[in-house]
Amino acid sequence: MAHPTLLGFQDAVSPVMEELLHFHDHALMIVFMISTLVLYIIVAMVTTKLTNKYILDSQEIEIIWTVLPALILILIALPSLRILYLMDEINDPHLTIKAIGHQWYWSYEYTDYEELGFDSYMIPTQDLASGQFRLLDTDHRMVVPIESPIRMLISAEDVLHSWAVPSLGVKMDAVPGRLNQAAFIASRPGVFYGQCSEICGANHSFMPIVVEAVPLEHFEKWSSLMLEDA
Amino acid sequence: MLATRALSLIGKRAISTSVCVRGGHGVAKVEDYTLPDLSADQKSLKEKEKGSWAALSNEEKIALYRISFKQSFAEMNQGSSEWKSVVGGIFFFVGFTGLVVLWQRKYVYGPVPHTFDPEYKEKELQRMLDMRINPVEGFSAKWDYENKQWKK
Repeated sequence: MAHPTLLGFQDAVSPVMEELLHFHDHALMIVFMISTLVLYIIVAMVTTKLTNKYILDSQEIEIIWTVLPALILILIALPSLRILYLMDEINDPHLTIKAIGHQWYWSYEYTDYEELGFDSYMIPTQDLASGQFRLLDTDHRMVVPIESPIRMLISAEDVLHSWAVPSLGVKMDAVPGRLNQAAFIASRPGVFYGQCSEICGANHSFMPIVVEAVPLEHFEKWSSLMLEDA
Repeated sequence: MLATRALSLIGKRAISTSVCVRGGHGVAKVEDYTLPDLSADQKSLKEKEKGSWAALSNEEKIALYRISFKQSFAEMNQGSSEWKSVVGGIFFFVGFTGLVVLWQRKYVYGPVPHTFDPEYKEKELQRMLDMRINPVEGFSAKWDYENKQWKK
């Protein structure tokens, strides 16, 4: 989860998020180098005593500052496209979960084997148990088995929402009347937080998402319990 | 037809993008390369300049320089004290903004949620460590679970 002194990304849970992390490091390094160069040039231009009012053209430097940015852009585009196509790979999900956005909560449906469905409301601040995270914890979590490709089908019942969990590297708009598909693999167990990412009314900031990744046996126990309670 | 006409131009002449050479107005100012109106004394000095420069006295050389240039290099490069006013102004407005912020905190904003209490924050911290939040490089990675303290 995010915390106040976090400057970069949260630790990756899915392989795709790991790739995105490293790509961001790569792109940011390039950005730092360009910014440093430009800052140096600006300072040099502003502090120089040399002047020449009659310069007419400058073919060499024009070529350099056209070709060099083109090369840099290629250097950014190639890894970027690689990850883009990686995200679109054909995968074979072990589980399909539907996440449906409402005003102002998420509901999850596990309908592969049985009809399991439940709502996930944020815990109001005054009802927080000791140590629970304000505006992040929910009454029911979306539990998934670790190391299994999961297919998410995301939609909405009323207005636009967006289902986002940064540490999984997933964000997908929840559009009424439309099914959007996203996929992820949770490589390690844990609890992962996200928040609704499309403005949807008064309580848009108060409908978080909590994903709990557990070993398969625990997932099976959980789903049996949830079915009994329903 | 148009393409061959265009192609025959290219290679025959350089396409100039320099406004000053094409005479775009205002770029090559006439004051930059003509003499200003001269008084009678200055005109006779200019005539004397056509002879040997060793014959010119120092004051005459300086007068000739001043005809062509408004400032000497020393005058041109001297700084001013303007920066002190600018920095002072910045400090003043930043300080004033700070006062506004403090007033707002006291008279406008309500109390902070109970989750900001130090005891609650401790419980949150313990829960984050128990849940192994960000254990790879982030939060929990910096906690030494054996010795129950932050890693040095």
